[in-house]
Amino acid sequence: MTTTAERPAAQLPPPPRRRPALRVSARRSLTAWLFLTPTLLILVAFTVYPMVQALYLSFTDYNLIRAAEWVGLDNYTELLSDGSFWNAFGNTVLYALVVTPVTVVLALAFALMLNQAFRGRAFARTAIFLPFIVSLGIIAIAWAFLLDPNIGLISHWLSLVGIVPEQGWLSDPRYAMAAVMIVGVWKNVGFYMVIYLAGLQSIPVDMYEAARLDGAGVLQRFRNVTLPLLSNQTLLVSVLALIATLQAFDQIYVMTRGGPFFRTETLVMLVYREGFQELRFGYASAISFVLVIFVFILSMVQFGYLRRKQVTY
Amino acid sequence: MKTQHRRRSPERRARHTLRPLTLVAALAVTGLALAGCTGQGSGGGSDDQPDASGKVTLDFWNGFTGPDGPALEKVIEDFNASQDDVEVKANIMPWDTLYQKVLTSVAGNDGPDIIAMSASRMPQFASQGLFEPLDDYYTDADNDTEALATAAVDASVFDGVNYGVPVNFTPMMMYYNKDLFSAAGLDPEAPPTTWDELAGMVPKLTVDENGDGQPEQFALALADHETVPVFASLLWGTGGSIANDDGTKSTLGDPESIEALDFWVSLIRDQKATQIGMSGADADKLFQTQKAAIEVVGPWMTTGFDEAGLNYGLAKPPAGPSDEAVLADVVSMGLPAGTSDAQKEAAYEFFAYWNSAEGQTTWADGSGFPPNRADVADKVTASPYPAIFGAAEVTDVSKTLLPGVASGGPIMETIFNPSVQKALNGEGSVKDIFTDASAQVQAELDK
Repeated sequence: MTTTAERPAAQLPPPPRRRPALRVSARRSLTAWLFLTPTLLILVAFTVYPMVQALYLSFTDYNLIRAAEWVGLDNYTELLSDGSFWNAFGNTVLYALVVTPVTVVLALAFALMLNQAFRGRAFARTAIFLPFIVSLGIIAIAWAFLLDPNIGLISHWLSLVGIVPEQGWLSDPRYAMAAVMIVGVWKNVGFYMVIYLAGLQSIPVDMYEAARLDGAGVLQRFRNVTLPLLSNQTLLVSVLALIATLQAFDQIYVMTRGGPFFRTETLVMLVYREGFQELRFGYASAISFVLVIFVFILSMVQFGYLRRKQVTY
Repeated sequence: MKTQHRRRSPERRARHTLRPLTLVAALAVTGLALAGCTGQGSGGGSDDQPDASGKVTLDFWNGFTGPDGPALEKVIEDFNASQDDVEVKANIMPWDTLYQKVLTSVAGNDGPDIIAMSASRMPQFASQGLFEPLDDYYTDADNDTEALATAAVDASVFDGVNYGVPVNFTPMMMYYNKDLFSAAGLDPEAPPTTWDELAGMVPKLTVDENGDGQPEQFALALADHETVPVFASLLWGTGGSIANDDGTKSTLGDPESIEALDFWVSLIRDQKATQIGMSGADADKLFQTQKAAIEVVGPWMTTGFDEAGLNYGLAKPPAGPSDEAVLADVVSMGLPAGTSDAQKEAAYEFFAYWNSAEGQTTWADGSGFPPNRADVADKVTASPYPAIFGAAEVTDVSKTLLPGVASGGPIMETIFNPSVQKALNGEGSVKDIFTDASAQVQAELDK
């Protein structure tokens, strides 16, 4: 028994003619779905379907040639006691924890700097953005050359100031992780900078003028105008950067292959190793699924946290 | 100012995050995590069926990207011209690309008809059902397999079944830089023949010009990863090894193995005999730029060393205190599981031609590799290297590493090489590191 049903029918005002309105909104969302259909189909075919397939494979023993054999949760229980997995997990978290904030802060700093008018601004913008569009494989090879202990330019410069690498920067367990981190930041910072630049340019000038009239200094203007009005960009940039760092693979694969002795092996590298080198695709799928869940949870936490800070105007 | 920015109400936020489209988008973004392990491209297709004229085309994948590639193609060309029934097409790509692609493309029925790979990797793939057994090739007298070097044939045997036919059989030899020997006051015609002699030469061949503790010139170019497993073969010198002959028991923790590792690790760590952490390509570069006096490597480097203008000598690697075994690497050709009879027959014809006196002469002349059969040695005249690498005193003591062990690849890449790197970086004592590694090797062998 609902309260509406108890109302005498006679007292009701004539029902508003809402059907046309509904039809408009339905039509609108239908149009939206229609426009989205091609993309969604591609997503289903190339993302959702492989994910479901990978989820299935993660419960099997599979080598690509023989039919997959159902093993239940075996792969996941094996993960828990697998030292390689925890090592890669730790490396991944370390990499993400360092590279994500450094990338975001640097991207913002570059964007602020390059938003000012000065001679050579276009060059600086291009120079910072360029690494992003060059293939990571090529970048990694170039860096491996720069850091080479015998013929590397950077090694040479460092030796001029008395820093002589005992071995290659990339093969020394103390520096290998730092080296791939630096390249990871350098590679992507330009892309996030461009997002921030777009954000900065969409902030109305009158906001700054109003703040200035209120007596706000440079720092205050940055804290109370720039930063809040960039919250959309910050949300996007930090979520994208975190996901990208958690999937770090290519530059590490080319620069160190996860070595020396697995010091730079990340989860995606481990997935690759278990799958394509040890031919254990079921186990590799289980690892990638743990990574997917981990990325999903972290992204949701980030969404939730940063959305609360979000500001619209 | 804050009034100008309207904060979203909590309800609105909650509703927003639950919208299906947002979820789809979030899932899609998260799904990128999988992108790295789903999209392996497959290789080019091949004509699996005989064409109208009855000719069978075989797609032959291999990794002879160096100066040996043209030699390989020359033999294939000769074979194609010698008959009208079979045509072989070489598909040359880097070895690591080949290993990455071969499994997915065979599984997708879009792979090669003939696969060449290091015989040390074949057991792993054979144990997964990738290869067709080829025992009947060896029982057919027409194929003249009796003439082939036994070690080359045996290298591709797994579980008593032969899955491959040799492409080449190559002992690793010691290249030494005669100019650097002279500069160090050593006789350029007297390379070290034993470990002790080598150890005696290391201080003279290691040069630290500016006294910063980092040598500018190293006695050795010895890689610890991504290379033919020269380091692993050094265990043999004292009678040590990674596993016993039938691949059932790990011997990496045995006293003989530890003794050998102790010798090499202290030579490298304490005397800086080589640069630590080099890949095979780094070691080649070090020797090629005259920053190292000695490298143990295969004949594929000779062209590069010649072009660099090095004045080098070639000799058998120094013998250990109790054994003088030389590491040999074998590349074999296999057929993917499910190969049709017609294709098998066609492939056998090619294998027989490859290993015929004619084919091997062309191959050795052009590539510098020693021939797979002793009876053509005197016909190889275009290059001096096949004779040196194929000399009886070398091939007689040549051994392959971990023959027939299915987990040989993983043992080398995930246990042995990382352990060597750990030891060379001083992260624990040799004994502890390799006793631990030995238990891991045993676990792999028991799988």
